[in-house]
Amino acid sequence: MTRPLDGTTILEIDGPNTPLCIRLATSMAAKIAADLGARVLKLEPPGGDEVRAAPPLLPADGSSALFQFLNTSKRAIALPADRRSALDALLGGRIDAALYEEGDSDAAALLAARNIARVEIAGWPESMPRPHAPLSGFTVLALGGLLDMVGDAEREPLRLGGHQGSYPGGLAAFTALMAQLAAKGVPPARVSLVEALLWVNWKAASGAHADGKAPTRDGARSEFQVVPCADGHVALVYGVTQFDAVAALVGDARLNDPRFATRPERRRLIGDIYAVMRPWCATRTRAEIYAAAQGRGIPFGTVVTPFELLGDPQMIDRGFIVDMAGLKMPRLPVLWNGSGFAPSPLLEERAP
Amino acid sequence: MKPLAGIRVLDFGLLTAGANTSAMLGDLGAEVVKIESGAYMDPFRAVGQRDTSPGWWNRSPPFHFTNRNKRGVALNLKHAEGRRLILELAKGCDVVVENFRRGVLERFGLDYAALKAANPRIVLASISSQGDTGPNRLHASYGSTLDATGGMAALTGYADDGLPRISGMDVNYPDQVVSLLAAGLVIAAVMNARRTGRGTLLDISQREIASFMIGEEIVAAAADPARRTPSRQGNAQDGVALQRCLRCADGRWLAITLQDEKDEVAWATVIDDVSIDQWAASQDAEAAARVLNDAGIAAAVVKNGMDLIRDRALAGDTLAWLPDGGLVKGMPYRFAGMPLVIERRAPDLGEHTGETLRELLGLDDQALARLAELGVTSAEPERI
Repeated sequence: MTRPLDGTTILEIDGPNTPLCIRLATSMAAKIAADLGARVLKLEPPGGDEVRAAPPLLPADGSSALFQFLNTSKRAIALPADRRSALDALLGGRIDAALYEEGDSDAAALLAARNIARVEIAGWPESMPRPHAPLSGFTVLALGGLLDMVGDAEREPLRLGGHQGSYPGGLAAFTALMAQLAAKGVPPARVSLVEALLWVNWKAASGAHADGKAPTRDGARSEFQVVPCADGHVALVYGVTQFDAVAALVGDARLNDPRFATRPERRRLIGDIYAVMRPWCATRTRAEIYAAAQGRGIPFGTVVTPFELLGDPQMIDRGFIVDMAGLKMPRLPVLWNGSGFAPSPLLEERAP
Repeated sequence: MKPLAGIRVLDFGLLTAGANTSAMLGDLGAEVVKIESGAYMDPFRAVGQRDTSPGWWNRSPPFHFTNRNKRGVALNLKHAEGRRLILELAKGCDVVVENFRRGVLERFGLDYAALKAANPRIVLASISSQGDTGPNRLHASYGSTLDATGGMAALTGYADDGLPRISGMDVNYPDQVVSLLAAGLVIAAVMNARRTGRGTLLDISQREIASFMIGEEIVAAAADPARRTPSRQGNAQDGVALQRCLRCADGRWLAITLQDEKDEVAWATVIDDVSIDQWAASQDAEAAARVLNDAGIAAAVVKNGMDLIRDRALAGDTLAWLPDGGLVKGMPYRFAGMPLVIERRAPDLGEHTGETLRELLGLDDQALARLAELGVTSAEPERI
């Protein structure tokens, strides 16, 4: 199959001193372009990309699952000690666009001099008074306000699993990269991890602005909660107009109590509602609860592990997880005229 | 120049995943025409309802946040004339974005085959819970459902209570990240259509995106039997020496990451010989963050929604303030010298029906009056 970015050449310029959280975003953006068919040259700094040694590590050869996931379909070139000259030589070829990282002054200067379409991946908003202070994926979640939204009110704020401080910035950088390619003369773009997270967390700002009070994590006082069931956990999630449907599903007369007639009252009495829902869930399996809820259009979700996704009928039917040279790898989350994009392993090339 | 100048988007997007994908295309220069009707309006108009007096459906903050810079057209798809006009509009559009329940577009005769027959170059971005195919294609979800079914909740939680956690209704994380990727995929498909003259059906599964966001964990769990049952470790992280939140003297939380031994040495110098928690309890959070940053340590105050709207330097380009004090969504990135300009607040239901149908389809007063009489262009909500 021809791929949409066939014939496009993109540089992923990995900086020599880039924090890990920024690198994950850069590599994510370039990976998506590479899987879509772009010829992506991943230029690693002398000593190599730090992510090569980052967990989780694979038992067979100790290589990094994180590195494998983020660097599919690319060609890797390790730049020599005289990095600037090597970069300069590479930029003399036909390059359609480049991704580079904050703090890489060589890349910034060379790309600007040749006026190459480009996206800079940074940590902080440019408008911050201390835009170069140390940053981690975790502190990005704190600054974006997302940390404040997850967990119990009385306990410490909780991070989402994986690398969610970095990946939204990676997706934003991919879209900014496509915008660079869409027309001639598009001005250079800059993505900061913190801004990408703030943008994702817009409901916190919208809620604060509308109500003068910020929405925050409210654990066991939330309308949506995860509860144990016979063989694991389910997330009880439903629409504001679906409470009657939930009551009918559970079939317990206590949920028909007039005290629960309005949403504000239900929010106030959420503990009483969960006191009825929990025992109902406890005696049923995930599959039973999910099927019964979906049968009524109620969007309860079963908590599944990454491993369970490998055997999930929907994921299998759509070919979401593919075999890449012996590794199970999720493909890009899109079917293009019905076809998925199979990722291929990174090719290691010699420096020019 | 704006990257998507000259591109027109027909927007059936609802709530965040769909409507925000179109909004992002609009931010990059596309012209966005949002199609609703009195028979079926964007549910964000009701979710954010603030009052019950007439026109309440035009005052929802989350709707305003997401739908700025769009024109609003009311066309009832249940009416044959409404469907015919959509196909006419599609002839002059480059992109259609939709996130209806599966089956809705087919039922209205507006699926990809019909749109493609009207315009072979059309790009249809179909965003759905589980994708357009497969045994679960009709299943419903909200963002927080996908936290669970996509695998992220299994990796999120405190170490001591065994309970997986979801991002919750005020975040619905999977809904938010969808448009960050979908907008880029649409642009790739538009470039492809320019080159080949052929459009694309983009079948985008929100659940797949949620799982893609933990892709390395899927790779690792498949290859390593020890990772089949994930452990939730609170804020700690593999490969990181210490990572947690500390409660400071002013009651605020401080997030810190000590990546490695070097950070631990720097840390020990800062706190001297008291415990971590004692040190934090003697500091205000912002001051503590500065001290630690100066020592080379990643530390930041846990910000909340009020901080985000008060600290404009922090918010950067992600929020856009209107002259009347209103607040709407900004952009997740910045293009040099190309700031986001809010030219239109979010449209009232059907606000631009007349002007848009005149301009794009050449309808005259008589034709518009007939549509109104038939109820095709009614902008009175029939139900909530």
